[in-house]
Amino acid sequence: MRKVFRHFAGAFAISLLPAVVAAQTTVSGQVTTEAGTGLPSANVFIEGTNLGAQADEQGRYSFTVPAARANGQQVTLTARLLGYGARTALIVLTPGTVSQNFVLAVTALRLDEIVVTGAGTSTTREKLGNVINTVDSATVRRATEPQNVVNALAGKAPNVEVRSQGGDPGSSSSVKIRGAATILGTNQPLFVVDGQPIDNTTISTDQTATAFPGTGGIVSQNRAADLNPNDIESIDILKGSSAAAIYGARAANGVVLITTKRGRSGPTRYSFQSTSTFDDVIKTMPMQLKYGHGVNGQPFVCTGVGCSAGGGENAAWGAVIPAGTPTFDHGEDIFDTGMTLDNNLSISGGNDRTSFYLSGGLTAQEGTIVGPNNKYNRASLRLKGSHQLNNQVNVGGNFSYVDTRGKYVQKGSNTSGLLLGSLRTPPDFDNRLYLDPANGLHRSYRYPRPANGSETRARGYDNPFFILNSPGNRSELGRFIGNVNMDYNPLGWLAVKYTLGGDYYNDWRLEALPQSSSSFPTGRVVRMDINNLEIDHNLIATASRSWSDNFASTLTLGQNLNSRRLRMVNVLGTALNAPAPLTLQNTLSYQPFENRTLQHIESYFAQATTDIYDQLYLTLGIRNDGFSTFGASKRRHNFPKASAAWVFTNALGNTEQTGAFSYGKLRVAYGETGREPTVYGTVNAFAQTVVFGSGYGDLINTSQSGQGGLTTSLIKGNDNLKPERSRENEYGLDLGFLDQRVDLSLTHYNKRSTDVILTSPLSAAATGYIRQFANAAVVTNRGEEIVLNLRPLQSERLSWDIGVNYGRNRNNVVSLAGAEFVNFNNEGFTGAIGSATQGVGVGVVRGLDFARCGRGLVFDFDGDGVADDIDALCRLTPGGNGSFVNGALFIGADGLPVVDPTDRVIANPNPKYSMGFSSAVRFGKLTLSGSADVRRGLEVWNGTRGILLRFGTHEETLVRERTGTFGKDWATDKYPHVAGPGAGTVAFANAIDWQNWFDGEGGGFGNTGEQFTEDAGFVKLRELSLSYTLDQDWLRDRLNFSSIDIRVAGRNLKTWTKYKGLDPEANLGGAEWLTQGTDYFNNPQTRSFVLSFSLNR
Amino acid sequence: MHTVNKYIRTTSIAALVLASAVGCKDFLSGGELSNDPNRPSAATNRQLFVGIQSNIFAEYTSELSRLSGLFTQQLFGAQSQYIPLYAYGIDENSTNGQHTALYSAGGLVDIRNLQAGATALGDFHMLGIAKIQEALLMSLGADYFGDLVYTEALQGGNPALTEQLAIYDALQVLLDEAITDLASTAVTNLGPGDGDILYGGDTDNWTALARSLKARIYLNTAEVRPAAYAQALAQARLGIQTADDDYTTVWSAGGGEENLFYQFTNVQRFGYAEPNPFFVSLIESRNDPRESVYLDANPNADTPFGSVDSPDYPQQILSADENTLIWAEAAYRGGDQVEALLQLNRYRAANGIAAGVEVGPALLREILTEKYIELFIHPQAFTDYRRTCFPNLTPVTAGQKIPGRLFYDTLERQTNPSIPAATAQPTRNDNDPANATDPFGNVCLGQ
Repeated sequence: MRKVFRHFAGAFAISLLPAVVAAQTTVSGQVTTEAGTGLPSANVFIEGTNLGAQADEQGRYSFTVPAARANGQQVTLTARLLGYGARTALIVLTPGTVSQNFVLAVTALRLDEIVVTGAGTSTTREKLGNVINTVDSATVRRATEPQNVVNALAGKAPNVEVRSQGGDPGSSSSVKIRGAATILGTNQPLFVVDGQPIDNTTISTDQTATAFPGTGGIVSQNRAADLNPNDIESIDILKGSSAAAIYGARAANGVVLITTKRGRSGPTRYSFQSTSTFDDVIKTMPMQLKYGHGVNGQPFVCTGVGCSAGGGENAAWGAVIPAGTPTFDHGEDIFDTGMTLDNNLSISGGNDRTSFYLSGGLTAQEGTIVGPNNKYNRASLRLKGSHQLNNQVNVGGNFSYVDTRGKYVQKGSNTSGLLLGSLRTPPDFDNRLYLDPANGLHRSYRYPRPANGSETRARGYDNPFFILNSPGNRSELGRFIGNVNMDYNPLGWLAVKYTLGGDYYNDWRLEALPQSSSSFPTGRVVRMDINNLEIDHNLIATASRSWSDNFASTLTLGQNLNSRRLRMVNVLGTALNAPAPLTLQNTLSYQPFENRTLQHIESYFAQATTDIYDQLYLTLGIRNDGFSTFGASKRRHNFPKASAAWVFTNALGNTEQTGAFSYGKLRVAYGETGREPTVYGTVNAFAQTVVFGSGYGDLINTSQSGQGGLTTSLIKGNDNLKPERSRENEYGLDLGFLDQRVDLSLTHYNKRSTDVILTSPLSAAATGYIRQFANAAVVTNRGEEIVLNLRPLQSERLSWDIGVNYGRNRNNVVSLAGAEFVNFNNEGFTGAIGSATQGVGVGVVRGLDFARCGRGLVFDFDGDGVADDIDALCRLTPGGNGSFVNGALFIGADGLPVVDPTDRVIANPNPKYSMGFSSAVRFGKLTLSGSADVRRGLEVWNGTRGILLRFGTHEETLVRERTGTFGKDWATDKYPHVAGPGAGTVAFANAIDWQNWFDGEGGGFGNTGEQFTEDAGFVKLRELSLSYTLDQDWLRDRLNFSSIDIRVAGRNLKTWTKYKGLDPEANLGGAEWLTQGTDYFNNPQTRSFVLSFSLNR
Repeated sequence: MHTVNKYIRTTSIAALVLASAVGCKDFLSGGELSNDPNRPSAATNRQLFVGIQSNIFAEYTSELSRLSGLFTQQLFGAQSQYIPLYAYGIDENSTNGQHTALYSAGGLVDIRNLQAGATALGDFHMLGIAKIQEALLMSLGADYFGDLVYTEALQGGNPALTEQLAIYDALQVLLDEAITDLASTAVTNLGPGDGDILYGGDTDNWTALARSLKARIYLNTAEVRPAAYAQALAQARLGIQTADDDYTTVWSAGGGEENLFYQFTNVQRFGYAEPNPFFVSLIESRNDPRESVYLDANPNADTPFGSVDSPDYPQQILSADENTLIWAEAAYRGGDQVEALLQLNRYRAANGIAAGVEVGPALLREILTEKYIELFIHPQAFTDYRRTCFPNLTPVTAGQKIPGRLFYDTLERQTNPSIPAATAQPTRNDNDPANATDPFGNVCLGQ
């Protein structure tokens, strides 16, 4: 390489030779719609050069060509704007002024738009043989939670399922493209920014400190959220394997290609945008305010210092609260209005050889939880520039630095969790007084009068106000992402592109609980440092040749080298010495965990394209991947692809895209992608980190009393590991109608993922290991995608656009190496745990159900030592006709259902289909737009509800005032049919019956998870916004602004759902979880009022 | 100029092609790419011993000990999952990994590794100790799950279950071998040394432990083999004699080394388990000096438990007290009431309880009652209850039986077809039949 650089140095010198002075050429004109409206932001440039300009708000553009480069030659001038067909004109560069106007027509299908297809390649949309959905910058800004770029993908394309962990500032979002194709780890796509892969991992801070990471603790962050969305020009989503195959074994879950904004030559442009958002929780839990602390209808009396509410007494099953006694709605009192301020300044511009884009962004988010400890701040800087050294060489760089800081509140399944403590509190206890007035100690409803000396005593559950005022949970991250790139066009037909990028971050985290917190009464400090570096080298050479007017082809060869290095130190300090500070050296003992990994990739790829008669476009490609994580027995694997696109309307002679049937394209594509094995999955080793104890979190280490212990690892290594492989067929049809006023895109795909890696369960009795990494499972995803766009009105004064997308995906687990299911042991609880289950799908929740008729159950349900035939008993239902309804709830003699001891799937959170609607009406400079999301046919396990029934705080527990009978007046929506010996028997005669039922099997602490599975389908009105653009002359003359945009919007304004919990979208775990359908004291998403303006000049 | 450009072009392209074709030779393997820097690739015998020791500590004093407490009404399930567990709502998940842990990390796999390592070095002391560790672990497994994969364990395939009694018999043979190994005087005998944080590798201590364990296992089979009382008696005479030689856990207040019962009651699951009123009234009625060890008299205390839930409280795994009470019961059952009373009084003296002069059923009742109190939150309490139906507990759920065994782990059931589905598993083990009456002829209420 050194030699090459020396020659480039020679090339630099050549370019610096003084030019002959001569008169320059000014090229100017206006770009308008067919209706005559100016098209702001249109790009006008001379093909093959960096010469050009961006049109202003009236569509006017102007740029100069230096005399040295204007010598009377004829050049092609192109005007291009997203959503419009590009137009070209031939002009002659003679000194003086050349005037050229363009009229651009809307192209519904964006056929001329350049689409980035990955690894340095690009093409126009017309030639694509597969689906690539594109999200533009304006859409990113309007997203529900624009702070996290992943959320910008929500509802924008079919079968791109985005789910946010909750409304907490900084919480992660997961995105699943065309269903889950993998079982181990997550299904997150590869994120690539300007040709360079970046890290988007989600790591929960308590991952080594607790038995069930992610269920409690604080929200986790996904690292793509470090990108400033305002810097993004467009996002291309490579969904299918044929589109993503160029990324080989990293692309089985799709690829998200992000292109950042860049400068254009012409006058320097300034843009300042400011957005203020006011956030509110979408819904609060309905609470009963009538019955107070106590059990059996008796008030709990706790007046002495140090008195406490024990196991049975900690509920709101007490007496009616006397009139005049104040009550508190604990669903509401912990929330207030949050606010987000987002300010961005960008400066961009350039001349004929050099362009630059400089931006700075500042986002400050205050969450909806009361108190100072839920906030997320991001400051980012970006400088992107490019310079043309000579006619052959263009060099560029793109550097960004981001500083992210957050403060968090404990959440989820955690006796110190915010909602957990709050929603379990009886209504007659005022949580706001969280410190005892006498001694300043933490008081909670279960320990209302803390005794002196109880500094390290657990409170049962933490007072939510104690925990939201605790400053112990923080993160601070510094991240640098940058690349240098070079385009070298040594010969007319050959283009070489080189990108060398680096992504480095250091993530400092603290998750600490003060003394007297219930989960760690002596206090605890978890410190985590994550240090991640990814270096990517990508070199491609593309040769192009037009064999004739009707036949052209290209060949691209590429090499990719990639190195990922992770350094993680996690120290768990237990028992605080002094109450503060919350630092490791202030704890009495520490346990360190260190994780270091290094992964390399060495890959080669080739891609050939052929364009025949401007109507048939063929692409063939192959990537050969070598990964250090592949087993040594076969280190290299191939990932081929092929696609064809046929514009048959061109064949029919309609090249102008006019008439009732204006456009038609047929697409066929096939591709293979992969996913690499877990790092060191091939290695067999001993472990010093195995812990012994139980799932309740009581754990001891392998080493004891300073004596080092080692054990065999729980997971067996497998040196034959190879990448998971997805093979996908995709067929599609793109149609345009009525002079392209209507377009319709239909796609069907069929993806089969084989060799899917799982930690295949092993019989410990047979092998001594509990699991082994194995290429064993088969997962399929089949689906349809429909995109329909209508433009009923298009005139200068009035336009109306409507967009609809529909996606359906059927996910199935075909085989699991003989196992019926694989539990994701870290995702959920023993009673409702995430899994991959054969014949059902990935990410489905397993647990127990009540006995039902029609399952052929035979077991001893009444504990008399004799097995009972449940179906036979169903038929003997009193008053029945000797038959039963399949699935009817089996009722024992006492009127209560009984537990079916069989573990089974109890909730499937994968939607059957999803839809997105958007519409915009523009009236002059005023635009009204809205969008809605629909998700149907999915279930969520509502563990929160089960627990709140147990504690008697939920509004539903007012049912205690009446009697209840299954099948008649209790849970009839869930169980419309009942049968069995006790069918029709009154199960609950009084409040104590209800209390006992919820205390046992009928509540959240019972064994039966299924009873809390709910339909979580929803329709959400995501956004409604009104915007106005001021670009009158006085603005320019008096204020020196070219335009001012003002926008008022509401987000998540309304949700229609049957779901009884706070939010069908929130999930206990973040993007690090495959299982996205468990609700256990999750914080809901927010609804927002948005006020935004931008000043441009 | 033209030729220079051409030269530049040609060499640049050649260099680029070269750069792309060659790549680094070892870019994909070696160093941290191929070797996990986070885990060791080899383990010494002593390190394996320590790992096995930790697993034994956890198997004896974590969830199985608490389930024993719940089922024998020493504990009360006051909250969350402990409410249904207390009411006998057990399923495959209640086992909570305790079945799998018999075999995996720190279990049989490493015991066999250690036995092979000890044999390779000619270290018979380590070999004997490893055999005792095997018997400690697998006898507990057989107590709680009945038939277990044992004779065909760790040989791959779909190993068959070994009958519970056959496991006990095999372990008796193994313990005899261990006692012989520990008597070895070979110069290659190193033993676990300081890695043995309790006995420091003392062969006399381990030999006595082996004898006491043999006595316990014999006693556990006495329900179907009355002759086992005499065998238990013979072994108990040679077993652990003083509390100094008790086999206990060694905990400290350091993270990862804390008493598991403390972690459960004070740290992880505050309020889940409380002392059972039945147990509390029993111990209070007897003025037992251990009341303050087990229970906290202060109603405002953090937890209602005594020193038993402090971070460094050593939990008994096999104690001199248990050995003495096995001796007493075995003597009584063999008709030697004098010996039985002598041992009971020796036990009482060791625990600060006044001597007595009981005879007949009253003597047996005292022996069994003391053992029930002695084995507070000890897995053996539940095993004794299943054998004797003593104390004659009233089930907390009317009409239900107290469980007779635990279900195998789901993971094992899924991966080994020899293990029957949960619904097809016995509720009690064949070798441990339900008692019609308690030892005093009263109808057994819970079995």
